[in-house]
Amino acid sequence: MSGRRPATWDQAADDYDYLFKVVLVGDSGVGKSNLLSRFTRNAFSLDSKSTIGVEFATRTIQVDGKTIKAQIWDTAGQERYRAITSAYYRGAAGALLVYDVTRADTFESAARWLRELRDHADGRGAAVMLVGNKTDLARSGSRSRHHHPRAVPRGDAAALAEREGLSFVETSALDATNVDAAFETLLTEIYRAVSRKALAASSAGDDAGAVGEGQAIQVSASDSAGLTTRCCAF
Amino acid sequence: MDKKKGTDGTEPGPAPSRAVDRFGFIKPEQGNSPDGIPKGKSIHEREREERRIRKWRKMIGVGGNDWKHYVRRNPHVVKRRIRKGIPDCLRGLVWQLISGSRDLLLMNPGVYETLVIYETSASELEIIRDISRTFPSHIFFQQRHGPGQRSLYNILKAYSVYDRDVGYVQGMGFLAGLLLLYMSEEDAFWLLVALLKGAVHAPMEGLYQAGLPLVQQYLSQFEKLVIELMPKLGQHFVEEMINPSMYASQWFITVFSYSFPFHLTLRVWDVFLYEGIKVVFQVGLALLRLCHDDLVKLPFEKLLYALRNFPEEATDPDVLLPLAFSFKVSSRLEELQKEYQKRQEGTSETSSGERLQPLVSKTMSRVGSRVVSNLTTADRK
Repeated sequence: MSGRRPATWDQAADDYDYLFKVVLVGDSGVGKSNLLSRFTRNAFSLDSKSTIGVEFATRTIQVDGKTIKAQIWDTAGQERYRAITSAYYRGAAGALLVYDVTRADTFESAARWLRELRDHADGRGAAVMLVGNKTDLARSGSRSRHHHPRAVPRGDAAALAEREGLSFVETSALDATNVDAAFETLLTEIYRAVSRKALAASSAGDDAGAVGEGQAIQVSASDSAGLTTRCCAF
Repeated sequence: MDKKKGTDGTEPGPAPSRAVDRFGFIKPEQGNSPDGIPKGKSIHEREREERRIRKWRKMIGVGGNDWKHYVRRNPHVVKRRIRKGIPDCLRGLVWQLISGSRDLLLMNPGVYETLVIYETSASELEIIRDISRTFPSHIFFQQRHGPGQRSLYNILKAYSVYDRDVGYVQGMGFLAGLLLLYMSEEDAFWLLVALLKGAVHAPMEGLYQAGLPLVQQYLSQFEKLVIELMPKLGQHFVEEMINPSMYASQWFITVFSYSFPFHLTLRVWDVFLYEGIKVVFQVGLALLRLCHDDLVKLPFEKLLYALRNFPEEATDPDVLLPLAFSFKVSSRLEELQKEYQKRQEGTSETSSGERLQPLVSKTMSRVGSRVVSNLTTADRK
């Protein structure tokens, strides 16, 4: 997936083919905000503030020659904040479910987050990726301040992902390992799912790009060849 | 004790590797200092500041002895002076006087120590994890396990034991951290109690209770006020699908202490502690009014960015606050609160914005608190 470029505030509103809403969820302190800043601004801060409520950023990437804009919502991880943040899962095309590989409790919460997502987001239609963050802390001789033993074996997380039908990757926001790959894999998965639905709908003789009723992802394509297909996952 | 810790040399801490502003925040490597104050003050300005301090000292008396008497006799003078800003060297003491926390402290000797030393909290690990993420760019809180982080931990742990129903919620740390920069640990704890339990104004604990009921109520009220007072902008928000939870949650949960310039935060807190939560609404409305003409032109993403990154001129307290005070919202807020509560009736969530909740929580009876509820008065209009 070459030709990636971050979205800028000056970018024209129409400068994309698809717009996908993605949410970052997971326990407090697992690194959601730094994953977001690493992906959207290529920035990382050891001294970041805890997220209060929600934060928001965007980035545009290329998938199969199409321009995909990701609108990413970073949510506060503390249980109490779900009263506010769960509203942001609604209509999400995808989610990164983040845990910290050095804290088993954050992995144990994954099932609860998954339930929460499936209750509030696009049912089982939303693509979910399980992300084990902070691999730098679990590596000896790492650049980070402190070394922590790995608490979540990679195999356990892979097994959960397999069982629940999730993608899975381990990342380090600190040294940027697999961060782009995580978001790009998720966005590609969403795009391909949307394309399949659009194709199925058009071959069934419906309007090109129509999606089944009740779906959060609405794809509407112009019937004239060459006009832009727009998808807004809201 | 009303000095700022970390800037007066009384507390050991790491030698800052970069320059700090006058409040103790590490300055960004480029650009203006975040405190928004010119580096050198003229002799004229210094003299004026000293006159102000003398007036304030006279008004509060030694150790605050004359305060209540003065407030009773000259409430309008007090209000005007607070709106102009409390002198920084007296801020800690005055905050304690206007919040009612001084009385709580005197009525509860030894309680704080008991909470810190002898009680355990279910939130301890959560608090520890968040300590370094509270005012991370302030030198007082930067040193790992340093005095600032220890004090912040103690206050938050003590509060989570004091009121186990509320416990610890992210956001509280910014309130406690701000208070710690101006007063001792125990004083800061009782001021936090005064705010959340409602010693002088409506209790704020609903901002942090399960379901965040007061956050939801305030956001609903704020949305209505925007539509009523700035219909064009309100309509634009509706069209762009912007709702207040996207930008204003932090304003209410941390009373502007999360991401605003610190010199503005302090001025807002001066007035907030004296006049109550309506000030957060007023300041929020003033920010939107100052940026109104730009905001109405922006599409969703740029709009959201602008609502989280106000320009420097909009956050100048001498411009923003007079405009904020021009919004008369008290009676309308009460009406909107009643409407909101009517809408909520019949649901399992009850609003926690009640005026006269008892100050003492169930858990406090175990530690022998003598907190009394006769401090509660109606919000000053």
